[in-house]
Amino acid sequence: MSTTSTAKSDYLLLFRGNVWDRGLSPAQLQKVVSDWMAWFERLKAEGKCVGGNPLEDEGKVISGKQRTVADGPFAESKEAIGGYFYLTVADEKEAIEIAKQCPGLEYGSVVEVRPVADECSIKQRAQEYSNHELAGATA
Amino acid sequence: MNTETTTGEYMLLFRGPHWDRGLTPDQLQQAMDKVMAWFEGRNEGGKIKSAKPLGTQGRIISGTNGRFVLDGPFAESKEAVGGYLVLHAANLNDAVEIARSMPTLSYGVSVEVRPILAECPIFQRHPDLVQRARERAVQAEQRWVAAAA
Repeated sequence: MSTTSTAKSDYLLLFRGNVWDRGLSPAQLQKVVSDWMAWFERLKAEGKCVGGNPLEDEGKVISGKQRTVADGPFAESKEAIGGYFYLTVADEKEAIEIAKQCPGLEYGSVVEVRPVADECSIKQRAQEYSNHELAGATA
Repeated sequence: MNTETTTGEYMLLFRGPHWDRGLTPDQLQQAMDKVMAWFEGRNEGGKIKSAKPLGTQGRIISGTNGRFVLDGPFAESKEAVGGYLVLHAANLNDAVEIARSMPTLSYGVSVEVRPILAECPIFQRHPDLVQRARERAVQAEQRWVAAAA
């Protein structure tokens, strides 16, 4: 356990599924909508969430060497990312506890919790290779 | 598309985090040089609002009260999000053209481009609920603040 307890880590919550509201009664919707807003406001007030945004259902997907542009993701999807919260918290445990509070979970929404990396691991690998080369050159 | 709720910001989601697999150190170095140059070029004029890589150890939370906590997504997957970028663009087409120039597309990464909204589409489908919800959220927050005092 660290004695310097003020260190914080960044996590991204990705909210997956953008159709879980279909089939909910007006009363259920009312509750989810107000609970979600209150959850967001509370996390921001506590300094745990520095921002979050919903994403438009439809967008584009680019892939391949030809950089082909296709419509996507499919509008009705349990996998589609509907939005995100950016958290600054003590550790992963706290990020997970926060994720569990998502009001959409009860209705089938899924929350992905990912650590934000200080640096891209691929960039680090490239740097390691180049360090080895430099070491080899000076040996 | 409801243009009143768009923000002029677009999120680029980079999928397929292990794109460097199979590259020699030289190829990787060249690729990273291109990627770094790409980021610098896109950031001219302050177009990039934020950009972050995501670590490979993630969790997937589901079920009531998030009772299921599983490891995921699978880092080797071509669908897993390896990082994201938020940028300003005049419209979706411009954001798409920027995304198409990302060098890692040549190595198997795919890029998803999504307009960032001011308001959740689920809320948009139920505008009558949103006003009442806002009022309740303010009340709930006031209760929380009072309880915490």
